[in-house]
Amino acid sequence: MISLQNLTKRFGTQVAVDALSFEIPAGQIVGFLGPNGAGKSTTLKMLTGMLEPSAGTATVCGFDLQRETMEVKRHVGFVPESGAVFESLTGLEYLEMVAALYALPQDAARARIQQFTAFFDLSFATLTDKLLGAYSKGMRRKVVITAALLHNPAVVFFDEPLDGLDANAAVGFKTLIQTLAREGKTIVYSSHILDVVERVCDRVIIIDKGKLLLDGRPDELVATRGSGTLERLFTDITGGTELERRAEDFAKTFRP
Amino acid sequence: MIPASNSAPPILNPAVSPERTLHRLFLTLFLRGRSSRGLRKSSAPKSVGSKLALTVVLYALVGLVALTFQRQPIFVLALYLHAMTLVFLGMFVAASAGEILFNKEEADILLHRPIAPRTLLWAKIGVLVQVSLWLAGAFNLAGFFIGVRSPDGGWLFPLAHVISTAFEALFCTGFVVVTYQLCLRWFGREKLEGLMTTVQVIVALAAVLGGQLVPQLIARFGGNLRLGLDSWWIALLPPAWFAGFDDALAGSRAPTSWMLGGAALFLTIVVLWLAFGRLAKDYESGLQSLGESVSRPKKAGGRRWVAAMVQAPPLKWWLRDSVSRAAFLLTAAYLFRDRDVKLRVYPGLAPVLVMPLIFLLQSRRGGVHDGGFSVAFSGAYLGLIPLLGLSLLQYSQQWQATDLFRAAPMVGPIALCHGARRAVLCILTLPMLSLFALVAWLVPGDATRLLLLLPGIIALPVFSLIPSMGGKCVPFSLPTEEAKSAGRGLTMIGVMIASFALAGLTAWSWSGGWFWWLVLVETIVGVIIYAMIRASLASVRWPPME
Repeated sequence: MISLQNLTKRFGTQVAVDALSFEIPAGQIVGFLGPNGAGKSTTLKMLTGMLEPSAGTATVCGFDLQRETMEVKRHVGFVPESGAVFESLTGLEYLEMVAALYALPQDAARARIQQFTAFFDLSFATLTDKLLGAYSKGMRRKVVITAALLHNPAVVFFDEPLDGLDANAAVGFKTLIQTLAREGKTIVYSSHILDVVERVCDRVIIIDKGKLLLDGRPDELVATRGSGTLERLFTDITGGTELERRAEDFAKTFRP
Repeated sequence: MIPASNSAPPILNPAVSPERTLHRLFLTLFLRGRSSRGLRKSSAPKSVGSKLALTVVLYALVGLVALTFQRQPIFVLALYLHAMTLVFLGMFVAASAGEILFNKEEADILLHRPIAPRTLLWAKIGVLVQVSLWLAGAFNLAGFFIGVRSPDGGWLFPLAHVISTAFEALFCTGFVVVTYQLCLRWFGREKLEGLMTTVQVIVALAAVLGGQLVPQLIARFGGNLRLGLDSWWIALLPPAWFAGFDDALAGSRAPTSWMLGGAALFLTIVVLWLAFGRLAKDYESGLQSLGESVSRPKKAGGRRWVAAMVQAPPLKWWLRDSVSRAAFLLTAAYLFRDRDVKLRVYPGLAPVLVMPLIFLLQSRRGGVHDGGFSVAFSGAYLGLIPLLGLSLLQYSQQWQATDLFRAAPMVGPIALCHGARRAVLCILTLPMLSLFALVAWLVPGDATRLLLLLPGIIALPVFSLIPSMGGKCVPFSLPTEEAKSAGRGLTMIGVMIASFALAGLTAWSWSGGWFWWLVLVETIVGVIIYAMIRASLASVRWPPME
């Protein structure tokens, strides 16, 4: 479903993504991990057609990322980390605008929006009356997730999707993406909340400084490395040595 | 669970096309503002129609100034109308284009959707042109009827003027877009933001300056404004091209008017061809690179001198506490770096500098015999610089970040207000006064009349405290949308009336021979008021949060 061959992105002399290659079949939930500045968001932006790769190739849903960018965009959904929305639109105006950009008929779009509203426990009155700028962070995130799934994409990229969601919404969301994967959709899930990744994802890909470090099933990787948890494995391989000791030493500097 | 797609109701309404959707989107965003923070959050969105109607009515009212051009030849009337239209449109398009054409936040929302960059560009330009035409139409409404009654005019004038105004709006929008595209092509997107901020500020300043100069130009030429050997340069002014178009179709129909009108059409077409054809590809690549987050380190040396100044006397003595020092540095940083703040502050202050300069030049060339009112008014105007500057600095797109001030252990916001006030005095007021003094020194004339500036300058410290009263002048603490509120406009009108009154009193005292008494009394009263305001500010606490 997704295939990368030596995908590279350079910003001037800085290499953000360095010859990344991997394949993701349909129906898989892949945790896409890395420390800050590892190149995760840049990779996701390339795979959604927002950024042009500097080198390498990629296909999404069988469409070439550079030659058939519009087709790629039609088949993917994306929840960006920023959670940006047009704040001066109401939730409904925003979602109907998004639906129109994917050429969804108005009635079908409205019905779909109502289904999502029910799923996320959003009041339809809020959706029609309040501007998005007045929404709480969690409500706004629900709207962004709805906007990413509205056109029923085959591939969905989530960048920190749980940010702002309350515990109940987060539980519902995790079940949602697992079910979506069973229905054949491909999910790429980028997050720093590693225990959620460990529970939800079939596979994790860890990158650092734009390069691929590890790729495999979370339980197998943890077992092979003897790390105990994915979090420990992550800190071991991304250079976070002696984190606890450093944190303790630093905390001691706050003593009166 | 995810809703099944087959549960959707039967299709009754087809999808709205992406083009129409985007056009409606950008129009709504433009009319409501990009952020809802300035609106009452819990309420339903305000009517787009009523807001638009209010703006159009306001422009139409401003356009009534054209009534003073009754019985003037068509070329003169049209030159005034087109010059002022260009001023308004230039300022509007220059200020709006950056946010509309290259909006960073928009990248995360729209760039992964199946929309071609060219479709985006068209939708945005369409909105800019549409709004430009509304504003231009409203502003020119009175002019349409005045042209009909012009000595060489007639019923053809409204038609000719509608066409030329439409071309002018297209020219103005196209020109700004081309400037963006050329900057993109020559300097790349990394430098675009800083460069375009400078360009926008210059365009806005030029528009303000032009707005002040055109009436002077018309007054100089009177009814005989024509292309001649001594006034060939008029052909270089874009308003003259469009005025020539009007004059060719509905006025004197002189050969030079046909030439100017032809230039208007030709140059508008060239600009549009460049904007939407030749350079459209540059916009596409610029849009793509919006998502690029280059973490290239900025040159550190650029603004270090401000930090060094704050650490050294005399500023070190003036900024005694750490809070006012931090507020000073924050204000300085925004005045130098923040695009949104620069676009609001510098064009906003331009008339305060331009008007006194024009008055000064007129009065010292002996062009105006008003008993010194012009110079006195210049002084009163210059005294407003800190008041205006501080009022404009209250607004920022990052207004929510100022919650930090409330979280800090400060009983009230006054130390912040003082820091911002001192930054405005040092960074804006002092250079502007120095520039004015330099021009006044260079221009020959009766130097004693410059004493008339004194009452305005003496009032400056008191004026500078007014925005801080009630602790309202916390820098960057209000959403930018509130900068457009009607209350603010009324305050400014009140301040202008006060300046007029002070200037009138000054001119009266000068002609009556009691000028120095006025200066003495004003100084004493000023010191008392200053001390009283300072004392009252010391007890100001944080106003309640909304």
